[in-house]
This record gives sequence, C-alpha cells and structure tokens, in this order.
Amino acid sequence: MIHLEDVWRTYRMGDEELHALREVTEEIRDGEHVAIMGPSGSGKSTLLNIIGCLDRPTRGRYRLDGREVASLDPDELAEVRLHRIGFIFQSFHLVPRLSALDNVELPLIFAGMPPAERRKRGEEALDAVGLMPWAGHRPSELSGGQKQRVAIARATIMGPGLLLADEPTGNLDSRSGHQVLEMLSQLNANGKTLLVVTHDPSVARRADRVVVLRDGQIVRRVEGRSVSDLATLFAEDVPAP
Amino acid sequence: MKTVDILRFAATALVQHRRRTLLSLIGVVIGVVAVVSLTALGEGARRYVTDQFASLGSSLLIVMPGKNETTGGFPGVMGAPNDLTLEDVKAVQRHIPQVLRAVPIALSTADVAHLERGRQVMVIGTTPDFRRVRDLRMLAGRFLPAGDWERGAPVVVIGRKVARELFGQANAVGEPIRVGGWRMRVLGVLAGQGTQMGLNMDEVVLVPVATGLRMANRTSLSRAILEVHSVADMEAVKRRVIDVVIERHDEEDVTVITQEAVLSSLSSILQVLTLVVAGIAAISLTVAGIGIMNVMLVSVSERTSEVGLLKALGATRRQILLIFLLEAVLLSTAGGAIGLALGWAVVELGTALYPAVPASPPAWAVGAVIGVSFGTGTLFGVLPAWRAARLDPVSALQGR
Repeated sequence: MIHLEDVWRTYRMGDEELHALREVTEEIRDGEHVAIMGPSGSGKSTLLNIIGCLDRPTRGRYRLDGREVASLDPDELAEVRLHRIGFIFQSFHLVPRLSALDNVELPLIFAGMPPAERRKRGEEALDAVGLMPWAGHRPSELSGGQKQRVAIARATIMGPGLLLADEPTGNLDSRSGHQVLEMLSQLNANGKTLLVVTHDPSVARRADRVVVLRDGQIVRRVEGRSVSDLATLFAEDVPAP
Repeated sequence: MKTVDILRFAATALVQHRRRTLLSLIGVVIGVVAVVSLTALGEGARRYVTDQFASLGSSLLIVMPGKNETTGGFPGVMGAPNDLTLEDVKAVQRHIPQVLRAVPIALSTADVAHLERGRQVMVIGTTPDFRRVRDLRMLAGRFLPAGDWERGAPVVVIGRKVARELFGQANAVGEPIRVGGWRMRVLGVLAGQGTQMGLNMDEVVLVPVATGLRMANRTSLSRAILEVHSVADMEAVKRRVIDVVIERHDEEDVTVITQEAVLSSLSSILQVLTLVVAGIAAISLTVAGIGIMNVMLVSVSERTSEVGLLKALGATRRQILLIFLLEAVLLSTAGGAIGLALGWAVVELGTALYPAVPASPPAWAVGAVIGVSFGTGTLFGVLPAWRAARLDPVSALQGR
C-alpha cells in the first residue's frame, strides 16, 4: 500500500524555488497497476523516485506498507529498496562488464546470500524471462528486449511487492516492447503492485488506473473502462512520443 | 554482503580497464621494487662491513692515546695527553698475562715511488704480530722481520694494489722503492685482503714500527691492538690496561675500546643509512598511492550511474564504500606483491653479479612493504570510495 499525503518536492535554484511536485495526494492499493502520464518536466520521474525511496519528499507524508518513509535514514531506505521495490529503467542500467546472470544476482549479493543459493535463484529468475541460454552473455551481446528482460529478472529476484518501471519500452521496438509489457502485466496478475511512468498511451492503456501530472500536480485521474479511451481523452495532455 | 563477493566485483572493474589498472600497478611496483632493492643493498653493505670486522675475531682490544670522555675540563686546559709509547705497549704485554699479543701501530701517509711511478699511500708502522692479528697472507716474499721494536730497518711490505701500480706484472720482492724520503727494500707483497677495519689492505705499505714513528716524526703511537686469550677476559683486561697506563702516566689518558663496540657503532650507522634509503624509496610508494587515488577518482566519476544503480538495487552506503575501497586495496596489494617478486629478482640478480655483498632485504623492509602497499590502497582509496558512497542516488542514476 502506497499512501502519499500532500507531498511536495522542492528544488532550490539560486534564489528561486522550483516545485517538481506539489500537493500530491494519492493512494495505490496492493496489486494495482497504475500508469503515471504527463509531459516531460511534469514531475513523473520525481514522483517515481520518491515512491521508490531514492528521493525523499521536501514536505508531506509518504507511507509505504504503513511505514513512514520520510523518517528513514539512508541505510534503512536502502533496505526498503532491496526487499520491497524492483526498478526497471528506460536505459536498462545493466553493469556492462557483468554477465546477464551476474547482473541478475546483484541484489542477492547485497542481501548477503551465499553463492550457491544465489546461483540457483539467479538461474530461476533468468529462466522465468526465457533468457537462460544467454546467462553468460554480456549486456553488449544482448538485444534491447533481452536487456530489459534481464532487468526484469533482476527487479523481481528479491520478490518485492512493488515494481517501478520508468518508460520501460522507451528504448525498444514495438515487438520487444510488447513482450516486456506482457511480462510486466503477468507479474502484476501474480499480485505485484505495478507503477509505470510512460509517454505512450498504448502502454498506459494496460493499467487499471492512470494518473496524469502537469507542472508537478495531479491534474486528472482516469479509472476503469475509460482507460482504454485514453488516446482520445488526453490527446492534448500527452503528446505522442 | 560477503567480502569475497565485493572482491570479485572489484576485480571485474579492474579487469575491464586493463590499461589504466596496469599503469597504476606499475607505479606501485616501482615503489615497492625501490624499497626492496635499496634496503637490500643497505642491509648488504651493513652485513658486508660487519662480516669483515667479525672475521678479525672478537678478542681484540684497541688502545688509543687520549681520554675519550669529558673529565669536566676543556681539552688543552687539562694538558695534552701523554704519548702512547712503545714502552707502554711493552709494559702492558709484560704485566698482563692474558694479553696474547700486543701490536703497536704508527700511522702516517707518504708518497711511494719506484722509477717514475708513484702514488700516495697509508703507511702502517707495526710489528710482525700484526700479521697474526690481522690474519694477513702473503702473495710473495715475507712479512716484516722479528727483532727489536726500536730498530727501524729500511724494509717495507706492500699491498697488492700498490705492487701492481708500482711494478706492474714485474717482481717487486727485493726491489728498492722510495717511501716518503726514505729508500727502502721491498720484503714482500700482501695477498688480496680487501678492506679491514676501514683500511683497504691492498693500498697500504707496512714498515717496522720504529721506522713508521720516524717517518711520522712522532714519539706517540697511533694505537695498539691487543689480542686477548679469551673473550671472557675482555673486560678484566681492559681495566688492567688502564691500570698499567695510570701507573706509568699518573693519569688515565688512553681509551680502550673493544672490537665489539666498533662493530656495533658501525653497524648502527649503516642501519641508519638503510633507513634513510628506505625512507626515500617510500616516497615513491606515496606517489604511487596518489596515482591510485587519481585512478579511483576517475573510476568513481566514470561509474556514477553504476553507483546510482547499485543504490537503487538496495546497496547501502557501507557496501558502496567497500566496493571502491577494496578495488583500491586490490590494486595496491597486487602492485605490492608483483613489486616484491620483482624486487626479489633484482636482489637475486645483484647477489649473483656481486657475490661479495650479501644483499638481502631485511625482514622488516619486506613486512613494511606489504603493510605500506596495503595501507596505501586503503588510505588513498578512502576519499574516492567515500565520494561514491555519498552520491545522491537520483542524480547518480542520471550519471550526474
């Protein structure tokens, strides 16, 4: 359960204050699939970073599974990221010198898992995204879609309840993009809460709910069947990518 | 998070940037090789010199004119010390049964010449026992003749190098040479002995003690060497010698030192030399450390987005710190190990080429090198690692 209450994120640029987020109040229930849309600079990524405990609100309250995150110190936040949250990035963020399997195993290393058990878990996770044959390959030897599937395996290996995807298909062609989205939907169907930041209406259309940001504020919420009409509804808010 | 895992992760980063890793390794290697080989050289010199002394035996006492201690007055005010005469040395031998041999020595320098060839040498006026005390061997001819100490025959025994310079390959024994203003006949040539007690015995000439005193135009001996029966008697004999001198001079105006004392002071001087050399070499290790810091700072700024990712995946600040710190330590320790092996090889090569100098790095130097190269990595790795650990995850992810 994600509970945001009057969240502000303010940057100081010289004498000016820049509000990346303002008055954001939102609740996301466990197992929900929510898309966050909005033009660039609207605060989507800032919101995702705060939810992902990479950043802390300047003002307001953020409770994750009933825990007040704003009061946690950096190491406790690292602990939350390790166990509760899986990140999927537009640019994949794989460590280039490590094999696909080693990349997937990284969070297990931080969790202090012994190598034998780690290998087994890593192989299972890589197998789940259909990439076991590529286990020993470096990221540079994989296609974009394969890279993102490695990233998904890595994001899910610790069994987090919450997956955060920032433009997960932004660097992919439509076929591998579709494959990745199917995978994410499947994970959501298996009970993981899924938050996707996207420009792409066809990505947002898969969500149960869409939150639209503009200038750091939530300007619209779309739920239920209306989501599928998104492209026409928000043509003026969401420019085509 | 296991240290082994961090080490493996750090190693992959080093392997990825082979050239950079290699270059910073070379810095550490040079520093370590310098420390190992230079301290080995210093230690070799120390051992060479002390071995030379030790080969003379530790049952020798050296008696020198003059009191080598402050007696409360200024030098000169108390009067110049009395001469140490041949009579004194005779008296010592007569009164102290534990003295096996007493050898008077009168030192001076003089020009030696044969035909048109000449050079300046140290002239040692002494007695036949000098040969026993110093364990000298003859290349040709014979040593100084026995007989009355007061009788100064115009004969000379010359060092090997002196013989070679004056006579070349020709026979020197029986030939006349000039020593100072004196015409003398060469009795014999010393075999090669090298340096003993700070004197290169290849470059001296030996004359009877009375001749030596006359050449130096002095009545006082430079010193006397006493060989004592047993090492256990050294202290007792030392006191007896002073007693005998006081009885004859009415004051204690000689200094008696043991071979041991000379040896230990010389050894400590050379040890200081080794330390100084090690200190200079350690500077290059520090420079290597700064090189490591540089490389690590570059590495951190290059891998900013990787740090961001690791943070997003749940790595704590401590884990990030360890990753970069161990990378630096790995670098410096590997450099230390390679440098140690290479330094060892240099020393082995050196001792193979110059077997006379028993060069070998002292244990403390090897220990220090291992410690310092490990410490260098830690010390100079901390700043870059700390910088990485403190990065803000959001901006780091964006590579800023």
